[in-house]
Amino acid sequence: MVMNKIKELHILVIDDEKIMRDGSERILKKEGWDATTAESGDKGLELIKTGDFHILLLDLMMPGISGMDVLKTVRQTHPDLLVIVITGYATIESAVEAMKNGAYDFIPKPFTPDQLRIVVRRAIEKISLEREAELLRLEREKSLRDIANEKSRTLTIISHMADGLIVTDQEGSIVLHNPAVTRMLGLEKKAPPGKNLFAWTQKKELSSMVEEVLKSRDTEYQGTSMELALGEPPGSFLMAHSAPVRSAQGEVLGSVTIFHDITCFKELDQMKSDFVNMVSHELRSPLGAMRQKLSLIVDGLIGDINEEQKQVLARVKSRIDGLLGMITNLLDLSRIEDGRLVQQKERVLLPEIIEEAVELMAQEADGKELKFDVTVDSRISPVHADRQSMETVVKNLVNNAVKYTPQGGSVSITAQNCGDFIEIKVSDTGVGISKENLPRIFDKFYRIRNEYTRKVVGSGIGLPLVKAIIDAHLGTITVKSTPEKGTSFTVLLPRGIS
Amino acid sequence: MAKILIVDDDPDIVESVTIMLENNNHKVIQAYGGIEGIEKAKAEKPDAIILDVMMPDRDGYEVCRELKSDPDYRDIPILLLTAVVSQIPSTSYTHRMGMETEADDYVDKPVEPGELVRLVERLLQK
Repeated sequence: MVMNKIKELHILVIDDEKIMRDGSERILKKEGWDATTAESGDKGLELIKTGDFHILLLDLMMPGISGMDVLKTVRQTHPDLLVIVITGYATIESAVEAMKNGAYDFIPKPFTPDQLRIVVRRAIEKISLEREAELLRLEREKSLRDIANEKSRTLTIISHMADGLIVTDQEGSIVLHNPAVTRMLGLEKKAPPGKNLFAWTQKKELSSMVEEVLKSRDTEYQGTSMELALGEPPGSFLMAHSAPVRSAQGEVLGSVTIFHDITCFKELDQMKSDFVNMVSHELRSPLGAMRQKLSLIVDGLIGDINEEQKQVLARVKSRIDGLLGMITNLLDLSRIEDGRLVQQKERVLLPEIIEEAVELMAQEADGKELKFDVTVDSRISPVHADRQSMETVVKNLVNNAVKYTPQGGSVSITAQNCGDFIEIKVSDTGVGISKENLPRIFDKFYRIRNEYTRKVVGSGIGLPLVKAIIDAHLGTITVKSTPEKGTSFTVLLPRGIS
Repeated sequence: MAKILIVDDDPDIVESVTIMLENNNHKVIQAYGGIEGIEKAKAEKPDAIILDVMMPDRDGYEVCRELKSDPDYRDIPILLLTAVVSQIPSTSYTHRMGMETEADDYVDKPVEPGELVRLVERLLQK
């Protein structure tokens, strides 16, 4: 039994001699301790049964039930009660026997008030020490219990997560994983603790990614992501994000990898691509046939037409060409998204490509009296790229610059080395793009609607295609624009090994 | 004047190609599918064949492969016509498959009359 407050310390004195009882009570109370007395063993045991005592001062020599018997009884019923025996004989034997029977201390009779105080104070100190120890023990138990609770709570969350989770140590051995990942990766059993990631999953690309994360020395490194195709042919797709776990000192201690099932998303994306493909092909054939038959009339192969008719039909032809161009872009875009863009990279010289694109737009630019300013650094490095994709990029940017620059404006194209990159800049003094539209210009099918763009034929596919191609070449494209003043696109492409 | 076979499942393409070539004084034989194309090629032994790639019964690649593997018809020049175009060459079937099937030349549909006549005449000179 533990006392919560030292004030509630109760002392019981059992002695058959009234003078001893009263004397002891007086001394103890003077010290501020609560004292109760009993004149016999029986009475004392009765009080102990109902009361809450911490220290018992017990006379050994009493008529009726002896002090030694009282001691033996309370040791059984109240093991926490500290018993100090009072022995009139002051013999070593009775004291030793009492101690053997579990007494805490003894005091020989007669004793001085000081002797009593010293003995009792020592007992109280022992009680408070015990109480402190007990509190500490309880506290430790509680915090251990809290940790266990927290741990089981975390484990419960992890094991009920829909996303998969694998935690490894710095050697790539599995420390923790949840049932979702076992199911997602199609593994039969859970990983034995300490098993290597590759040994368990048999997924080379996954363990390579985690290895890369574990090797990261850069403390800014936030981890990496990859798509995992499972099954042959792939039946499901997972997105895996892997990140390092670091100590306070920044040392990599292990890795956490989260797996998210993106099969549904991939299926929808595939359906969308199939649809775009189908529509594009179905649209292209009839348009092609229309265009070809129209040529027969325009070229006068099936009879003469007058100049006015010819002009109208030429305009029809050019609108059909616009549609055909858009369909080609759509097809290309869906190819890039499918990952069907198998890149055949070669050494590509950008000056040639820029020149071609400028030539292609020259007529339209002349018609609008645009000033064309091309500055290509002759020391420019070649890029390692897909030639025709590069043509698409430059053509689209130059084409846009010419299309969206009004009469008498200017278009400038510069290309130069820029560190490990090649920088291509296409600027115009055109209509510009407003702040609200700027973040969306690389979105598919997004077209800015205003007075000027209404007159320009466009599909909303050119820039997304450009961006997709540049992304596939590990480059970047950025845009700056001021409405009414002009727009400037900057492309950075990694330099090829020359 | 040469004898030229046009094979395409789209009657409008067949008709327009016919007019373009007849205008340049060529004799044109028409076929509206791959199977019919092979039959007419073998029966008529044309001087050149203009062959569409995407056809439902037998596609242009198959027709081209079959004719090119036969010593009797191997020397007839073939111009592949297709609507599958791309700005990305590695995905352009025309180019890649055209090379693999030993076609002599290829052109993307739609084709301008002048361009078609120029290509056909170049083939005939080979």
